[in-house]
Amino acid sequence: MSLINSLPKPTQDDVNEEERKSFSAPIILMVIAPSYDQKRGWIAQNQENVCSKYKDLITSEITEDEDRCLQKPGEEKIQDTVERTRKALERVTNSKISAAMPVRAAPKQAPAQYIRYTSSQKGVVFNSEAEQRIIRMVEVQKDPIEPPKFKINKKIPRGPPSPPAPVMHSPTRKVTVKEQNEWKIPPCVSNWKNAKGYAVPLDKRLAADGRGLQPTHINENFSKVAEALYITYRKAREETETRAQMKKKIAQKEKKEKEESLRGIAQKAREERAGIISGITSLGNYDDNNDNVRKRELLRRERHNKRTRDRNLNRTNPEKMRNKLFKERERDISEQMALGLPAKRTMISEGQYDQRLFNTSKGMNSGFGYDEFYNIYDEPWRKTKDMVDYIYTGPRGAFRKSSGRSGPLKFERAEEDPFGLDQFLTQAKKAATKRPYEEKFREEKRKRD
Amino acid sequence: MTEVQDVQKHSVHTLVFRSLKRTHDMFVSDQRTIPALDEVAEKVKMRTKAKDMYGPFVHKVDELKALQRTRDLERLDDDSIQENGHESNALVPVTEESTATPQSSALSVIPQRKVVTIPKPKWHPPWKLFRVISGHLGWVRCVAVEPGNEWFATGSADRVIKIWELASGKLKVSLTGHVSSVRGLAVSERQPYLFSCGEDRQVKCWDLEYNKVIRHYHGHLSAVYSMTLHPAIDVLITAGRDSTARVWDMRTKANVHTLTGHTNTVASVISQATEPQIITGSHDCTIRLWDLAAGRSMVTLTHHKKSVRSVVFHPNLYMFGSASPDAIKQWRCPEGKFVQNLFGHNAIINCLAINSDGVLVSGADNGTLHFWDWRTGYNFQRLQAPVQPGSMDSEAGIFAMTYDKSGSRLITAEADKTVKIYKEDVTATEETHPVIWKPDLLHSTRRY
Repeated sequence: MSLINSLPKPTQDDVNEEERKSFSAPIILMVIAPSYDQKRGWIAQNQENVCSKYKDLITSEITEDEDRCLQKPGEEKIQDTVERTRKALERVTNSKISAAMPVRAAPKQAPAQYIRYTSSQKGVVFNSEAEQRIIRMVEVQKDPIEPPKFKINKKIPRGPPSPPAPVMHSPTRKVTVKEQNEWKIPPCVSNWKNAKGYAVPLDKRLAADGRGLQPTHINENFSKVAEALYITYRKAREETETRAQMKKKIAQKEKKEKEESLRGIAQKAREERAGIISGITSLGNYDDNNDNVRKRELLRRERHNKRTRDRNLNRTNPEKMRNKLFKERERDISEQMALGLPAKRTMISEGQYDQRLFNTSKGMNSGFGYDEFYNIYDEPWRKTKDMVDYIYTGPRGAFRKSSGRSGPLKFERAEEDPFGLDQFLTQAKKAATKRPYEEKFREEKRKRD
Repeated sequence: MTEVQDVQKHSVHTLVFRSLKRTHDMFVSDQRTIPALDEVAEKVKMRTKAKDMYGPFVHKVDELKALQRTRDLERLDDDSIQENGHESNALVPVTEESTATPQSSALSVIPQRKVVTIPKPKWHPPWKLFRVISGHLGWVRCVAVEPGNEWFATGSADRVIKIWELASGKLKVSLTGHVSSVRGLAVSERQPYLFSCGEDRQVKCWDLEYNKVIRHYHGHLSAVYSMTLHPAIDVLITAGRDSTARVWDMRTKANVHTLTGHTNTVASVISQATEPQIITGSHDCTIRLWDLAAGRSMVTLTHHKKSVRSVVFHPNLYMFGSASPDAIKQWRCPEGKFVQNLFGHNAIINCLAINSDGVLVSGADNGTLHFWDWRTGYNFQRLQAPVQPGSMDSEAGIFAMTYDKSGSRLITAEADKTVKIYKEDVTATEETHPVIWKPDLLHSTRRY
């Protein structure tokens, strides 16, 4: 089968004579079968008609006259074309399919040919004396699965490409700035994708997401709730603030009172130490206590000495004096020191022991009784003196000894001036006024009123 | 009464323009007719020409005339002689017409141009948006109508093919299987098959009785952008980014032909039963007409200046149209002769559609639809449907469209993820939507 057979006939056959006449434009018809060139191989004749004339460029308006040639070809013609095409395609398809098949059926052999052969040489020697002979020609049977004899895995170079078609349009014009601007395509950005990370204006963003399409309606109760919450919150804050202030004030007051009382007690104690005995008591005990006088005298002297030493020191070495003053100022003499309390032991260095266990030879058995017996808290933990003992020791140690009192000092109502001494003294003080009866009269008058 | 009315003053430019217009209107009716001949001048011209060109044997004409005269006389004498064919002794073979009136034969030398009447465009009712079908999750890239006109299929960038009822617009079936966007669809007329191709290089054959893929046509080297079925032979033709069109045998899946020749992406392929059986439009700005039987290119049309994104056959006439951003062009079929240009759609035209009424629609990347009268190239309507809510204006774009089989509905596949259906406005009449048409004389002979 030659290649020429495989190719369909040129399409010009379809255009019959009268149609060809009716075309106003001359078609360049080149009916050329594929030709073979010794050097170039098969020359493909791809382009059968080429538009290359001026007439192919200008418009040919459709008028009524031309309608005939614009009609499609008849049914038979179409059928004919289709048949032809189908056959050609079938052929190609079959060849392709058979090539792809793994096992091929053995090709059918052509029927035997019989050839009547008359020899040109006549004679006894030739042709075994026969005038004619009949030759039977049979094809040699082929092995269907015989591998191909020739290597065909080489790439066959392509045929030359078809000649370039004539360009039938004007050269492209230079793009103007306006056109360039028209071709500026905005970057591809959406609500979901923004690969290059462009900044999208907020209004554009809102416009794109379709949120503005529905009018939003918020229930007014939301605002009411919010307002109410705010007001209650503020009120609560105010209340707590006032409460806190009140508490603070009360605490301050209490603290002040406590300090006052402490200070009073401390003052008293200091005075006692210093030997300044307040009016009435000192007066009452004046006679029967020479010892006291002596003590006071001693203390006074001591203080006097100190003052003179200070003065001398100040005169001779003011620097040292200042240092001393400074030191004294820095020195903390707290109320507790003034009260003569024992220094607080912040740290107990030794372990504490259960004293019940001391001086017993039996160990645990002696200290603790049986289960029901309760002897754990039957004694005070510490047998030291209570703090109250320190505070209310009274003015004199002898006082405690004599009364044999072990608890705090109990105040008793003083006897109602047994000697009338108090009254006398107050009258003596008041005697400074020159007219006692006038005073009396005034008193009486006040009573009357 | 006697008062002289003021003449409204116009600028010289306006006056000149008006005068031009009036003149134009006066002569528009008989444009292209040749002015009447001045007989005296014509006679002088002919005599001069005869003397100049035929000087040496001009006298022969007179001789012939004389001869003829005598022969006429003879004929009058003898009516039995009917034939004139035997007088072959004359130097110039003379036919009957030329001998009859020599004056007219001289005149016939001038090519008498036919008076071309410019056809008026046919009135078409305007089209209006009729239905918007939303359901796809990506750009809708292709649409195909079933031959029975019951349903249509759309393929989208969300990798799904959806089948919709044409009458109601309801979704019937969603077909999944492609792994990239679906770019081409075709429904077979003779088998219950749907064919689809996509950017995943796959060409699939769906059996619509089972809604399953039954065949793959494997061979494209890159994305497949367009496909078509041959109306009479069981082959399908696909074209794509590998700048080839491939012809597949439907049943055996064999790649019958690989149509190579384009130098860039082939954007559109169409086929018909007559020659040329395949036409492709490509991004290399050319259109190729292919001989299907031989699998080679017959004609290359290089008239377009920009990439051709769509080619479409006229349903009745032996013509086809092609669209590129510079112009829409019409061609005559067997040999691809250029017919005319349709200018005015200044956008990237993605798709074309023609119905049997002769309404050509072009849909562009910016969402505009232009409706044209095929015969005259008159643009009778321009449309731009709004995008569906939630999409941006830039998402208006028409990727594919087709008329239904009756030609009364136009289905468009759009970038706003919807399918829109248009129909003719039945209330419109010729009075409400008149044809405003001016023959474009300037551009009538426009080239390219």
